[in-house]
Amino acid sequence: MSNIILRKLKSISPVLWAIMGMVCMFGMISGRYLTLNNLINTLQQGAVLLIISSAMTIVILSEGLDLSLGGVLTVSGITCVLALGAHIPVPIAVVIGILTGALCGAVTGSLIAFCKMPSFIATLGIQGVFYGLALVMTNSQAVFTTNKPFLVLGGKVARYIPMAAVLAGIVFFLVWYVLHHTRFGRYVIAIGGNEAGSRLSGVNTVFWKWMVYVFAGFITGIGGVILASRLEAADPIVGVGWEFDAIAATILGGTSFQKGKGDVSGTIVGVLLITVLRNGLNVIGTPSMLQPALIGTIMIIAIVFQVGISSRK
Amino acid sequence: MITSKSAVQTKIGAFKYFDPSLLSGGGRLFALILICVIMSMLSPVFFSARNLSNIITNACIMTILGVGLTITIITCGPDLSVGSILTITSVIAAIMLKAGIFFGWAILAALALGILLGLLNGLMISKIGIPSFISTYGLQWAVFGFAYVILKGYVVYDFDPAFRFVGNGYLFDVIPMPIIVMLGVVIVGFIILKKTTLGRTFYAVGANKEAAKMSGINVEKTMIYAFIICGLLSAVGGIVLVARINACQADIGKNYLLPTIATVYMGGTRAAGGQGGVIGTLIGALIMTVVENGMNLMGVPSVWRGAIIGALIIITVLVNQWLNKKLEAAGA
Repeated sequence: MSNIILRKLKSISPVLWAIMGMVCMFGMISGRYLTLNNLINTLQQGAVLLIISSAMTIVILSEGLDLSLGGVLTVSGITCVLALGAHIPVPIAVVIGILTGALCGAVTGSLIAFCKMPSFIATLGIQGVFYGLALVMTNSQAVFTTNKPFLVLGGKVARYIPMAAVLAGIVFFLVWYVLHHTRFGRYVIAIGGNEAGSRLSGVNTVFWKWMVYVFAGFITGIGGVILASRLEAADPIVGVGWEFDAIAATILGGTSFQKGKGDVSGTIVGVLLITVLRNGLNVIGTPSMLQPALIGTIMIIAIVFQVGISSRK
Repeated sequence: MITSKSAVQTKIGAFKYFDPSLLSGGGRLFALILICVIMSMLSPVFFSARNLSNIITNACIMTILGVGLTITIITCGPDLSVGSILTITSVIAAIMLKAGIFFGWAILAALALGILLGLLNGLMISKIGIPSFISTYGLQWAVFGFAYVILKGYVVYDFDPAFRFVGNGYLFDVIPMPIIVMLGVVIVGFIILKKTTLGRTFYAVGANKEAAKMSGINVEKTMIYAFIICGLLSAVGGIVLVARINACQADIGKNYLLPTIATVYMGGTRAAGGQGGVIGTLIGALIMTVVENGMNLMGVPSVWRGAIIGALIIITVLVNQWLNKKLEAAGA
């Protein structure tokens, strides 16, 4: 009996242990940590990261990398808010924002799929372009919006339910469904596992690889719109660094950057770890000057452990 | 055989008016001269002694970083943490100088820290197996974070004149010190890459890791060496930069990554590794600096800078790929 329990405990991933440990630690340090209010906050803060991380997971599963997703997040939020500023109705503005994300992804994808550029170089260059465009479009200043119907997307419904988290759940389910139950999803995994093999067995790898980046851009576009709504503004530098959080969440969730191994459901755990860490450090009152160094170090160490453990198996 | 030969000839014939090798070797130098000529026509200030010396000193730091990056790109992938290593090493050096420590120790500490961070990158990539563009990209956030923790957003300035000699002194009263440092780095980089066993293993690992392993090269060690060299050179770049501008703050290296990457690719180093060299990087750095300088002189708003450099990286890599294809087709 105790053997079974022990085995069960061992099968829980170390990332989950780390999350539980952190929750206990933060709970002991601060009385304000284990409250309903903070739980809702955590969910709200993790929502956008979950969206962009599921997009990143799809890209990494196809054995690519998209360093431009932070830029896409920024640009799509900005177009949406700018459209609202031009008195375009909310639904259309939201669609414009999301489609901007897809368009950004289409540009990135063309470079990688059609021009055969290595994904990390293409997306690094494109990252510069998108962040640059964000500065140009906003003239380096945050653009605020007070459009009530739009702010619902990032606000709370019925006082408690964070809308962003609900939407993130829906988007996550969409990504999961696409990955597991559509032709596109199967091709993503096939391309990641063995690109030459899939091409030889008749998959149009160039087109589907392009689609990977379009889809990732589309999903990130949704995230950008929600983020803009939550912050009630579009900030040209808001997306800086999100792409690394998303990469870290994906890897901590067990997705390998080689051979298409992994699943988007693991990414939830990675997102949870990063969100709990960021939120907890805030709640226990770590000086904000210290936080980037602490979080960066912890994430690097976590990735080293995760990759080290999974390569040993 | 005969048909394939004539096929090659027609392919060359199609490029009668444009020889692709023009752009690859000496063609880069030609491109640099062309850009300079265009710039001098657009702006009268361009050829002033002050502006030219400004360009060359700026290009020095870009070249020093670029040589390290060239070596890592040849071996296994870009080191995206160059800007952050530059930052933290110059912050450490600046703090030590301000504490009144002998400048030699400050420089040594900065170099040691650069080597240490390079070693860390190398270990993560070779021993753990995290791809370079993920591990170095991740490391930079942590390192920038520490730079903020140390300096707390303040600017440290006004250092020991003996230290500043590295950045704004003149050797024999004629040659600026950054140029001496840069030439030293380029020459040593050239000798390492072309004349030593270590250099040859860099190329071998970059061209085909499996084959290199089979032929008895210690691949892991080679990668670690490449990243250590890159870390060390980032520290050298940091020291020269701080000595030159006589001030240091926590985001001093934030804008160096993309231009340096562009520099290396403009120098003809292959994005996928295994090919390239430091002489090309030197020319690439000059092109990049002239372009940046040109944007300033023509009054391009600074908000456009990032977008333009990002686009330049993409265009350069695309042109390189296209040239390689043409050269291979012509040489096949």
